[in-house]
Amino acid sequence: MKLYKKEGNILQILSFQNETVEKGDYLLVEDADAGKALIAQIIDMQFASIPGILEELLRNLPDGGEPIQGEDFDPLEIAPHITYIQDASLLICKIRATIENENLNPSSAWLPSRSQSTIKKLPIPTLLKLAKINGKLPIILGGTKDASLLTMDASSLDGRLNIITGKKETGKSHLSKLLMLNLIGYKATVVIFDLNGEYISLGMTVDEKRNVHHDKIHVLTPSQNFKVALKQLNLHVLLEILIHALHLPGTSAREFRRIWQSLKERDMLNLHDLGEAIRNWHCNQHVRDALYSRYYALVNSGFFTDNIAEAAFLEECLFKAREQGGAIIINLKNTSPIDRQIVVEYLLGKLVELLTSWKLKAVFLFAEEAHLYLRETYWDDIVTRMRHFGIFTTFITNQPDTIRENIYRQADNIFLFNFTNEHDLEVVSRAARVDAETVNSIARDLPPHHCLVLGKAVRDFPMVVKVKALDVKTMGETRLFFKEQNKLAS
Amino acid sequence: MKIGETTTGTLIAIRGANIWKQNQSYRYIRLGPFIFHITEENKKELYNTLQSAYFHSPHEPSQSSPNLQQMPTRLATLLERWLQTALTKTINNGIILFDGSLTSGTPDTPTQLMREILATARKKGNTVLAFSKMTNLRFNGHLITDAIPKYKPPYLLETVGLRPKPPIALLGDIYVAKLTKGNYAFRLDIDKEASLEQKIEAVEKLLGNDYLSQSYPETLRLAHILCTFTANEVIAMQHFITHKHGLKLINRPDMHRLLFGPFGKGEKKA
Repeated sequence: MKLYKKEGNILQILSFQNETVEKGDYLLVEDADAGKALIAQIIDMQFASIPGILEELLRNLPDGGEPIQGEDFDPLEIAPHITYIQDASLLICKIRATIENENLNPSSAWLPSRSQSTIKKLPIPTLLKLAKINGKLPIILGGTKDASLLTMDASSLDGRLNIITGKKETGKSHLSKLLMLNLIGYKATVVIFDLNGEYISLGMTVDEKRNVHHDKIHVLTPSQNFKVALKQLNLHVLLEILIHALHLPGTSAREFRRIWQSLKERDMLNLHDLGEAIRNWHCNQHVRDALYSRYYALVNSGFFTDNIAEAAFLEECLFKAREQGGAIIINLKNTSPIDRQIVVEYLLGKLVELLTSWKLKAVFLFAEEAHLYLRETYWDDIVTRMRHFGIFTTFITNQPDTIRENIYRQADNIFLFNFTNEHDLEVVSRAARVDAETVNSIARDLPPHHCLVLGKAVRDFPMVVKVKALDVKTMGETRLFFKEQNKLAS
Repeated sequence: MKIGETTTGTLIAIRGANIWKQNQSYRYIRLGPFIFHITEENKKELYNTLQSAYFHSPHEPSQSSPNLQQMPTRLATLLERWLQTALTKTINNGIILFDGSLTSGTPDTPTQLMREILATARKKGNTVLAFSKMTNLRFNGHLITDAIPKYKPPYLLETVGLRPKPPIALLGDIYVAKLTKGNYAFRLDIDKEASLEQKIEAVEKLLGNDYLSQSYPETLRLAHILCTFTANEVIAMQHFITHKHGLKLINRPDMHRLLFGPFGKGEKKA
């Protein structure tokens, strides 16, 4: 390999057929005289612009487009040299860091010698060692292209905002399960908003036996084993539900506040008395109607109960998880959109309450397709305010444009699966910790289950990993009409 | 083609090709590239060795060898003659197209050798047609290929009364051939020994069997294309030489550029 050009932080390197490198690989451009080396990642591969190549190609196709048949007598065996030159490729590389005295710095402000520099492939294990990507709480993400394991530190998710995104069926949920199970292995508390009931069998192996995580997986299904009593509710959480999930107008909300305080003073916070109080409250008829309709929405959700015993499961699970680690899976599979919002509003409010009072240390929140249940104002809350309370969110989506730009800008880690749509890639490339060229070039060619890891987890050295398999029962498979026929055919 | 210079001489590469049309498709045999390092010391020996090895020349080897600048052309012509000889020996009842003329008596085209080539071709029932892209023959001050009558092509215009100075000899009858519509006509030499009917039949066969573009046969066009060295091939040959013989490539300073700066057109362009 030979150094050809450097423009900004882009290197162009001339490579030949016998030098097997691929997109995503790292190269070490070492200038022994300068005592420094550049670490650059291949983000694109092009044919080198060889003079006369067009003539060469045209010459072989003069006979109406068909290659002309013939024999070459080439006693000096020049043909392999011609092929060698013709197949030369130009590697477009992004400079990631400079090594000087075994220290890494992100600078690309120096120019290595074009004639004297040596260029070689940098094995991933060496890079991991140089970049110190390991730590005391390893999470094995999977294998890299050169068959080494890519390990990230669990603490790189701690206090961070993460995004897992990619096309359908590329393995996003699989990765989130992997991260989640590893986190609970390190005694972390994890809460998952499970939109499709994909996580409910995480405590089972593929052959439906209990696995090591079984006792740490707590599945909470709203209206079934997950209910809430009015007495447990904080007024402001209920008001958030009424205003944001059920769109209660401000005037009506003020009346509701008075009703609530009146009931609380009389220790009558239950569903029946709330209904009665609204019915008998002296107020405008429109306000009463508005309050009544919301009251029935709450009652019909089945999420609210007057039985305190029924409503204790969430806290129980959270406290259990606090002691030994665990995942609280909120199964939103059969929950209507409005009820989903009610549940999410309640849960986030509850988490903030528990975290504020230090009853919980911190929570890792995994939110699948969050735009389907998270109200607009919560996005900013989650990435700014709630982070300070100790809610560290991982968004999982196949529609990257549903996540706001400011979330991308603040994301600490991005786990990017395959995308071919340019619009999707453009959205992701707005993230602060990533450059558009890398995203556009590498993510487009990722095979299924391969993920481009960007951000703090890999110390800003983007790496492609094949996410390792999990011995858990997967529930995220798409239901197919022609499944039997396809099975028979295969 | 010259592919480089050494401290003692020149590195050249030559290549030749035969093209034939069979069953509506073109096929080729291409020989080379052959790379030679020619110096003042070895040029004579090299030339004579090749000449005697491939043409079994009954005459004494040439005492005066070409100068260094002429060597690429001279070696290329040796290869061309050898290919022509091989062709006339292997083809039966065909039309054989040569690139160039049937003029002999130059150092490149010994009359004896050219006569032998044409005789072999005739013996095998072949007719040799030689197309020249360039000619110096003039009529009334104009190049013969420029002063063409406005007849509907295809036609041949016979030239008569040409008397070259010895030792130059014309082994073919010379025609101006305008075989298709367009602006171009070519000098066409047809073996002198062939009868007029044979000559006309040969051109008719050519018209019926080969594709002609701008009056020039496709087989000859392909031969040219296949022999031409592209820049890529020159780089590959230089790569071969550096690897095989451990030579180091350096760029010779361009004196024109060096002395005249932006006003120097460079040695190649000058």
